[in-house]
Amino acid sequence: MYIEKTFAQKFRSFLTFAAIPLFAFSVVLVIPFLVGVFLSFTDWNGIQAIDSFDYNVIGLSNFTAALSDPTYINTLVLTFAYVTLVVVITNVIAFLVAVLVTSNLPARNFFRAAFFIPNLIGGVILGFIWQFIFSTFITRLGDLTGIPLFQYSWLVETDKAFIALVIVGVWQLSGYMMLIYIAGLVGIPQEVIEASTIDGATTSQQLLHIKIPLMIQAFTISIFLTLRNSFMVFDVNLSLTRGGPFRSTEMATLHIYNEAFISQHFGTAQAQAIILFVIVAVVATTQVIISKRLEGRAL
Amino acid sequence: MSKNTRRIVFVLFILVLTLSVAAVQAQDRVQVTILGTIKPEIADPFNEAVATYNAAQDQYEVVVIPRDGDPVQMMTSLSASGNMPTITNMGQEFSLFRDTLCDVTDTTFSQHAFPGTQADVTIDGRVYGMPITIEAFGLLYNQAVLDEAVGGTFDPATITTRSELAELLAAVDALESTEAAIHVSGLDWSLGAHFTNVMFTDQSADAAERVAFIDALKAGEAALVENEVYAGWLDTLDLLLQYNQNAGSPLAPTYDDGVLALGLGEVGFWFMGNWALPNLFEMNPDVAYGILPVPISDDPATYGNTAISIGVPSNLVIDCAQSTPEEQAGAIDFLNWFVTDPVGQDYWVNRFNFLPVYDTFEIQPQDAASQQILQYAADGLSLQWMNNLYPAGGWQAMGASMQKYVTGQIDRAGLAGELEAYWQTVE
Repeated sequence: MYIEKTFAQKFRSFLTFAAIPLFAFSVVLVIPFLVGVFLSFTDWNGIQAIDSFDYNVIGLSNFTAALSDPTYINTLVLTFAYVTLVVVITNVIAFLVAVLVTSNLPARNFFRAAFFIPNLIGGVILGFIWQFIFSTFITRLGDLTGIPLFQYSWLVETDKAFIALVIVGVWQLSGYMMLIYIAGLVGIPQEVIEASTIDGATTSQQLLHIKIPLMIQAFTISIFLTLRNSFMVFDVNLSLTRGGPFRSTEMATLHIYNEAFISQHFGTAQAQAIILFVIVAVVATTQVIISKRLEGRAL
Repeated sequence: MSKNTRRIVFVLFILVLTLSVAAVQAQDRVQVTILGTIKPEIADPFNEAVATYNAAQDQYEVVVIPRDGDPVQMMTSLSASGNMPTITNMGQEFSLFRDTLCDVTDTTFSQHAFPGTQADVTIDGRVYGMPITIEAFGLLYNQAVLDEAVGGTFDPATITTRSELAELLAAVDALESTEAAIHVSGLDWSLGAHFTNVMFTDQSADAAERVAFIDALKAGEAALVENEVYAGWLDTLDLLLQYNQNAGSPLAPTYDDGVLALGLGEVGFWFMGNWALPNLFEMNPDVAYGILPVPISDDPATYGNTAISIGVPSNLVIDCAQSTPEEQAGAIDFLNWFVTDPVGQDYWVNRFNFLPVYDTFEIQPQDAASQQILQYAADGLSLQWMNNLYPAGGWQAMGASMQKYVTGQIDRAGLAGELEAYWQTVE
């Protein structure tokens, strides 16, 4: 249909297919991002119009302020702990569940749907649902059973509140990752499996030596998505614990938000956001490069 | 339909849509926007009041812009994008926005405001905001529970020292009908903004010396552990925590748990303010409440032992940087309506539960606690809201430290260290 020879024709098909998405992408992502980077070098106070230029360029002092904020460093450490736990647990659970629901389990479609549903609930609502569970349901359970673990709300003790965040993060993400693993599992050619069965491979041998190497791409995608999502956790953090008790469960993004809108240090917050962006970009790129190498070896 | 007919129909459809939108906007009434409903708790009556006002005159139309999430976040983004609402309700944000606000000194509502209530929004003798109410916090009490505890009618004037309060707490605690004597909310804003205020405001009867105390903290020259008021204040906090309903997990209860506990008489006291009265009356309009000071020593003459913290929580301000003069006039007219029109006054006092700080009000609050607060104010027994002087992020930081103290993570010295460290980060 489209045979593009002249520049005009190429331009026309570009306009037809790419112009609107490109425009939307630039307006809502690229331009705000660039403006954000620019503002991190200024003393913008948060309410001046961006194009008024009533503010001054102050070089790197926002970045030095950002890095000398001890709570920011603490939230970064906490975020790393959270990311590690969520990435590992989510992928293990998602993979196991995927193996389970692709086997000859009765009602497996029901289970697939059930595991996927948490992903369809928005993070804020999800936070409130789990807030009820951790603070009201658990204490009621504690009253009934007398188990000390359930005596008080989990959201008011530092360690338990952190565990609660991990539980909710894992619960929300694993359904989606399960779908990706299912796609990987059912995409493996049936002949290979049959051949290995004839050669006498056990189920676990099949899983470890045939299935996993052949679906390594699913791992690349899933780990990338869980990394990104757990680094950027905000809505669940905000609605489940609000960073409490005493700001001990404040993740990096929530801290940046508080720094900007509660402490009204817009420059520092902007610089902290840029630093977080660089960290996430480096970690995610490294992960993708390593996984791609593994894929190359597996194939 | 041929291709061309479909095109024509489509264009016509768009045209009709555009025209109808234009027609709606082309009304001759000036639109006055207001961010949120002053407070989320009064959303329903406020929307009703707006509808009543819009129906009562045909010059202006007030439109409420729904407020979702953090108010500062909304204000900053609306302002930076050139969409600042005409009227906004501002607390601490006032200092950030003050260069963009209208001078309202000569308006009716400003001329009739009680002296002193506009202090926070006065710059160089000019007034830039309209105080919505005065609020007071202290030990809210359930009259029926305390009557039972003292075996008669409880008289708030009998409590002027910590030991008298301790006896009363013990008596309430001993009642069979109660679970505990007091409900202490572990919320960071309650502890960080309101409970800390008692310590800062009780420092001195002289306003300049109170500010000097904060300046000394900023400069790192004040040692809290050696401060008499600090010690007495924590002695009282320890007393309250001893009789706390949720002593096992002090941070667990929510605001609503406090409403239930005091309203149902599970406890006799709740450290909170009169903004909780509408919530309490919603549950049971027949219960009477009152408010007691937080005594910090055993000497009735100690400054603060017989007074409650009273202040203006926020002010309605009018944007002058982005609104047209017509919109500004509409905003003033709308705010005057609450102060001068009997219908507006009725909403202000009876539906919003605001304590009117204007001498034009014919309607006065009828419940005992509100009258008690107005009486404290009239008697000069009001303590300054030093929390209005906390910098942005201040109560959150101190609230976190208070939560650590309340849960036993840190002791007095640790709390003093954290509070001092926080103030030293403030410029």
